Amino acid sequence: MTGETQDFLVLGINHNTAPVLIREKVSFPGNQDGSITRLLVQTQDVVECIILSTCNRSEIIAVVADADSSAENLINRISEIHGVNRELIRPYFYVKKGPEAVEHLFRVTSSLDSMVLGEPQIVGQVKEAFRRDAAANTTGPLLNRLLHRAFFTAKRVRTETGIALSAVSVAYVAVELAKKILGKLEQREALLIGAGEMAELTARHLTNVVKKPIRIINRTFENACILASQFEGSPESMENLGEALSSADVVISSTGSCDPIIQFSQMKTVMRRRRHRPIFMIDIAIPRDIEPEVNDLDGVYLYNIDDLQAVVDENIGERRIEAQKAGRIVDQEVRKFMNWTTSLEWAPTIVALKEKFEEIRINEITKMNGKLGSLSAAERESIEILTKAIINKIAHGPISFMKQSIKTKKINQHVDFVQRVFGLDEFVSGTEREEIETPNYEIDHRN
Amino acid sequence: MHLILFKVAAIFYLISSIIYLTFLLRSKGSRCLSGFAFVTAGLVAHTISIIHLFIAQGYFPMATGFDALSLFAWLIVAIHTILQLRDLNPVLGAMAAPIATVLMFAASTLSYQITQPIVPVLKSWWLPIHVSFALAGNAVFTIMAMAGAMYIFQERLIKKKKIGRFHRILPSLETLDTLNRRALPIGFFLLTLGIISGALWASSAWGSYWDWDPKETWSLITWFAYAAMVHQRLALGWRGKKAAVLALAGFALVMFTFIGVSFLFPGHHSFVSSAYWVVLT
Repeated sequence: MTGETQDFLVLGINHNTAPVLIREKVSFPGNQDGSITRLLVQTQDVVECIILSTCNRSEIIAVVADADSSAENLINRISEIHGVNRELIRPYFYVKKGPEAVEHLFRVTSSLDSMVLGEPQIVGQVKEAFRRDAAANTTGPLLNRLLHRAFFTAKRVRTETGIALSAVSVAYVAVELAKKILGKLEQREALLIGAGEMAELTARHLTNVVKKPIRIINRTFENACILASQFEGSPESMENLGEALSSADVVISSTGSCDPIIQFSQMKTVMRRRRHRPIFMIDIAIPRDIEPEVNDLDGVYLYNIDDLQAVVDENIGERRIEAQKAGRIVDQEVRKFMNWTTSLEWAPTIVALKEKFEEIRINEITKMNGKLGSLSAAERESIEILTKAIINKIAHGPISFMKQSIKTKKINQHVDFVQRVFGLDEFVSGTEREEIETPNYEIDHRN
Repeated sequence: MHLILFKVAAIFYLISSIIYLTFLLRSKGSRCLSGFAFVTAGLVAHTISIIHLFIAQGYFPMATGFDALSLFAWLIVAIHTILQLRDLNPVLGAMAAPIATVLMFAASTLSYQITQPIVPVLKSWWLPIHVSFALAGNAVFTIMAMAGAMYIFQERLIKKKKIGRFHRILPSLETLDTLNRRALPIGFFLLTLGIISGALWASSAWGSYWDWDPKETWSLITWFAYAAMVHQRLALGWRGKKAAVLALAGFALVMFTFIGVSFLFPGHHSFVSSAYWVVLT
């Protein structure tokens, strides 16, 4: 249980707080077996611990006895492990405690704290970190529960919001559009004209889905051959352009030509030859490789880099709106989780209260045993029922008094009060409190 | 009993329509299982209702306007369900369910009961054959028109580079065009059988195959329109937007032949003198 002393703690650095230079100094590459986590969990007052390390963040998620001192101790430990000056890295660290720590973890796992909002890898990375450290025995009941709630929250965010629905990179948008126009892409034909970083990136995304070898045309055949070997495609010379356009379904064009290499009139002929079978053309070149009027032809869908970028921007805007919805889900789940941790605080007291009442009941019945000897079994049974009903009724008051404290946030005072009034100290294990006299609870049955 | 089931079906179609349409407005996710569940539940109730009416009346419930609209709605929902089972698409549901709902409520304004003794002509095996073929053809053309509308809408979005978020729930252009290509010959075949069976029925009932009754004339016009469409598609390779526009135009003609003609021109197909009217294509 958390008691008054145990707390959740998250500390770390991420792409918002620290430059790459610092991030790479504080990453945890040698932690596949959880050995570094085991080192950290030995830090004073640290009870449970997980290390989450991705290319954009390094975080310690822990259950600690004293959040403030533990945070500094852990940062010291990290600087020792990495052999970097503590003062160099300290300013980049964020430290979050209690509900804030819980909220942070839920947001990270739901990909609301990612560089690319809603990117899908992070939940897998958190799962892997948890699996590894659970196997290394550095987690306990609190982190186990916390992480499960984090995964649950991430799943809710994914299914109840549209945060991950839209593509947010030019290359992905291009592939999505190709699918929208051409349906399944496996048996389609792709054509890459020219070269360039963006064009190659888009071609790479495309060849992940397209199973036919990509055709590659370049003004210098040698360059086509080099690219073709990278993509396992087939190189072609510029003279084949007309024929290649007639059979391709997706065209990516990115040459350094000053004049358009695909003109309206040429494309008109091509489309007639294709019987207006749809073709998706992506013009990444600046200046343009494909005359913009080509888009007016029936069956031609021409997008240039600006068009694709506009779609990306729109999708990013949509993700931001969805992230607000996701934030509300996270808030709900944090509240639920914090209620659960609070319930941990009164649960032992409730058990103790019931045990104490039951003890009194048994004692008093035993005392009266002589006088009750003449009673029949059925009558004894009635007395059992009667006395149990009485203690349940009495217990109800203090129990609901403690449960109500969730609302007033005075949980500790309420629990403490109940413990004192009913003298439960000896029953509740693990609480540090000065010994007070157990009052005499003899109830006078004669009245 | 059958009337209760009919109403249950109509209400389920209505609920499904509302679910589908709100789903589209919120455009979240790509599947709408609850909408599909309701329309399927409606289909089950509707099927039992038609079977029950058949047993109760002792002849195929295809004689009245009520029957025709009900069966037409049933066919649209049934074909839509088959397509949905292959690939759940909320937009298809959002078109089929409201159309079925409108047809059901239109049917419910008509009487399913035949107040006068049934015309002997209708007590024939030709009735279910002729009506089923004709209505099935109409239903296929309706679905084709829905696909065409989706195609035109989405094609425009992609061409204008205004993708928005609506495209995510629409099937790809390729899927919609494939639907058009496959449905066209099926619908045309059913329409042809509908007309031939009608002619054979007329021959056995009145001794003449063809009377140039308005419904017959318009059916023939529709038939030629679709024959031209099949030719354009198969021989000339028309596809995509052109095919989609033709599907919509053909559908307008089908609807006129199906409903408009029955109101505008008296003939064999509208027994206007009685309390019911027959809308056979």
